[in-house]
Amino acid sequence: MGSPVKDVTISENAPKTLLLQKHCDYIAAYGSKKDEYEYCMTEYLRMSGIYWGLTVMDLMGQLDRMNKQEVLDFVQRCQHECGGVGASIGHDPHLLYTLSAVQIITLYDAQDTLDIEKLVQFVKDLQQEDGSFVGDKWGEVDTRFSFCAVACLALLGRLNAINIDKAVDFILSCMNFDGGFGCRPGSESHSGQIYCCLGMLSIVGRLHHVNADMLGWWLCERQLPSGGLNGRPEKLPDVCYSWWVLASLKIIGKIHWIDKEKLVQFILACQDEETGGFADRPGDVVDPFHTLFGITGLSLLGEPVLKPVNPVFCMPEETIRKAGIKLELLP
Amino acid sequence: MHGRIKVKTTAEQQETKRKEREKKLKLYNAATGKIFDKRKNKEFDEDLLTMTGEVLSQNSDLYTLWNIRKETFLHMKEIKAQEEMEKICNDELYFLESCLKGNPKSYGTWHHRCFVLDNMANPDWKRELQLCNLFLEYDERNFHCWDYRRLVVKRSKVPIEEELEFTTNKIHNNFSNFSSWHYRSKLLPLVYPDPTNPAGVKEEILLKEFEAVQNAFFTDPDDQSAWFYHRWLLGRGRKKMVINCLYASIPQNRVIVTTSQPILVGSSHQMEVFLKDVSIEGSWSNVAGNSSPYSRLWISFRFSLTCEFEAEQLFSDSDQDISFLVKLSGSECESTMAVEMSAGEMEGWTCLAEEPGSKFSHELSAATSSTLERELESIRELHDVEPNNKWTLLTLISLMKALDPLKYMQEINQYTENLQQIDPKRRLYYKDFRSRCVIENYLEAYDYNSRVVSLNNLSLTTLYHPELLVLTVTMNLSGNSLVSAMNLHWLQCLMTLNLDNNQISSTAGLGSLSQLKDLSLRNNLIEKAEDLEELSQCPSLTVLNIKGNPICNNTHVQSIVFSTIVRLESLDGTVRI
Repeated sequence: MGSPVKDVTISENAPKTLLLQKHCDYIAAYGSKKDEYEYCMTEYLRMSGIYWGLTVMDLMGQLDRMNKQEVLDFVQRCQHECGGVGASIGHDPHLLYTLSAVQIITLYDAQDTLDIEKLVQFVKDLQQEDGSFVGDKWGEVDTRFSFCAVACLALLGRLNAINIDKAVDFILSCMNFDGGFGCRPGSESHSGQIYCCLGMLSIVGRLHHVNADMLGWWLCERQLPSGGLNGRPEKLPDVCYSWWVLASLKIIGKIHWIDKEKLVQFILACQDEETGGFADRPGDVVDPFHTLFGITGLSLLGEPVLKPVNPVFCMPEETIRKAGIKLELLP
Repeated sequence: MHGRIKVKTTAEQQETKRKEREKKLKLYNAATGKIFDKRKNKEFDEDLLTMTGEVLSQNSDLYTLWNIRKETFLHMKEIKAQEEMEKICNDELYFLESCLKGNPKSYGTWHHRCFVLDNMANPDWKRELQLCNLFLEYDERNFHCWDYRRLVVKRSKVPIEEELEFTTNKIHNNFSNFSSWHYRSKLLPLVYPDPTNPAGVKEEILLKEFEAVQNAFFTDPDDQSAWFYHRWLLGRGRKKMVINCLYASIPQNRVIVTTSQPILVGSSHQMEVFLKDVSIEGSWSNVAGNSSPYSRLWISFRFSLTCEFEAEQLFSDSDQDISFLVKLSGSECESTMAVEMSAGEMEGWTCLAEEPGSKFSHELSAATSSTLERELESIRELHDVEPNNKWTLLTLISLMKALDPLKYMQEINQYTENLQQIDPKRRLYYKDFRSRCVIENYLEAYDYNSRVVSLNNLSLTTLYHPELLVLTVTMNLSGNSLVSAMNLHWLQCLMTLNLDNNQISSTAGLGSLSQLKDLSLRNNLIEKAEDLEELSQCPSLTVLNIKGNPICNNTHVQSIVFSTIVRLESLDGTVRI
């Protein structure tokens, strides 16, 4: 009776140890294949791709292998007159890539790379009457953009540029019967979206609105028999949810509600022993996105060879500390 | 890249693929180059639509190309006749449908569809609703499509009753459909509103929902969608914003207030103190151990009279009775609480009177107790058939807690134990849940006026509801499984604290306990002097016991601890020399 649980099985010979050096080599080589098909086809998210690569290299202690000057030159060339940053040179400005750019200049402690005044104005202008944020001038509203806006401004120490009370009200209007959050009012809860909303509330110190017991229960039920985490009920596990779900649990003080050992096993099984890097599930093709979230997941789970990661900004804890940013985490 | 399985290929295959891709890349680069040139030259014409269309049908995530298409549309709208424009828009909708078939989860494609419809003179919303039906048949969990559906419903004013019917049919086809249950939770309060009910839904409708959801979990007791929905039906009321407790101390020159919900004094709410009807000034602060400005515990120090009285005079005049009144006001709320102190008394307190057994029952507030009784009965039936089903057990506990926690105490205990065995991955969730049940039961029968709390040897993993323990002077938490003292910062009156035989590795959280005199931390996991550092902030701490901690292996432990906590007089029974 009933529908079978959607899950994967981990084979006996799946990797069981962290292949740190292989991952470093994979990421370092990725950026050098600029003429390859795969690389060019992902140009529309390049700025985020660079942030993923730099963050994961920093967490693995090898940030110095990346070409700092080249990166900063690129970031600078992606800023538009309006202050917003595009995914790549010639691509339109968008809040998603503006946050990635700010994360990059924070990692490199190079704020003078961008025109901060204009950038803050760009973010500020995207806030709507109801407190929500649109991603760019074309008007798509999403709680992801609320997080991008607030995270961006917090990293620049400019949170006072927006109406925080209204921004919080909008986030709360997206809260659901399960304690989670969706893209817009009425949307279904989704772990990625929950991470964004909790991150936003954490930055502005308003986590008391969250029912941590209810939401924590829903989040810890994302763990499947394989040990992996899914993003919503009845979905397959995916390494990127090792980040969205786990960081959310960390923010509300409930990270111990899942089985850490089983999750570590699942994440390790998603490594590719030949190429380095992590895939979404064991046996799939690797990419930098899942490589970052595999590593950040392991870092949150306490893997000692990695630098501790900040659960809200998904950047090294030491970077956030140095930037003097305060967050609220529930005990 | 999601769900792309890695396939082993021969060198020959790889080479063929490489060449293919090289060719594709050349075409792609040439196409995007031309597109950007045309945009630069403001050539917003049919050609540009064709060119961007070719690239986007291969890669619909290229957001800038969607933007260029939008610019082209806006330009054409200016110069073309309405009829012609309608045709172009309709063509665009066909194009978008084919893109969605290739990639039904592209944010850009769905948003572009909204854009096109919002720019049409006579959009055919019925067709859009059918499109949603179709895509929800392909994938009933596609949240992009559900969100688009909600937009269509809003724009074209589809009766919400019809939408509710749609979710009913979806659930009939497949119970295990979290998206549909979710949508119902949003629609029911709109279709059958009842503002007096905490769920916002008419009682008779809720009863029908209970029936429907039971149908689902009796068919498949492991289907979590139905259980989460059931938990929602049971409700989750919030307590009214009131003052829970007021404490005043003359020698400490402070007033402590706890509220039923977190507030930010001076921003979300105002709090005023009156001494013998005269408003007195003080600075409010919260001692929360994190960076949240909102708290349920507020302390006012160093209050002074604003009028002609002198505070000292009032306090020193021992013939006089003293009355403190605190007034909390904010949006849609006003609450006051007073404390009377007879002449000569140095402290006084008042707590909100609540009936025993009802302090925590508000959590399942949507249903009446007869509904809860009925639910309990039918879920017991399911439990008899499926004794090892965790969802059944968890729901039984919630119902018992809501109905009569003291009566069902033994069963609740037994079931929380069972859950840890049945579902070991979430073992610590159930342990915390159990701790919560134990503490709530204790508090239901607890008399605040005793100011002594004994929660020892109960296997507690965490301390729930510390905000209700503010008045406690003596606390015994020994013999539990606590790993942190973080929550203890609430216990502002605490003088004696026993934390022996736990797994605490840091004293973080104890630093704000200004009255703490005697602390016992025997047999915990304190390793270094830094782990005790926060105790140096406790101004009254004179007696400390840390026997049986790893730090005691250090032969210089005495001198280290005495120099860390300078006010300390006695350590492990040895007096400071």
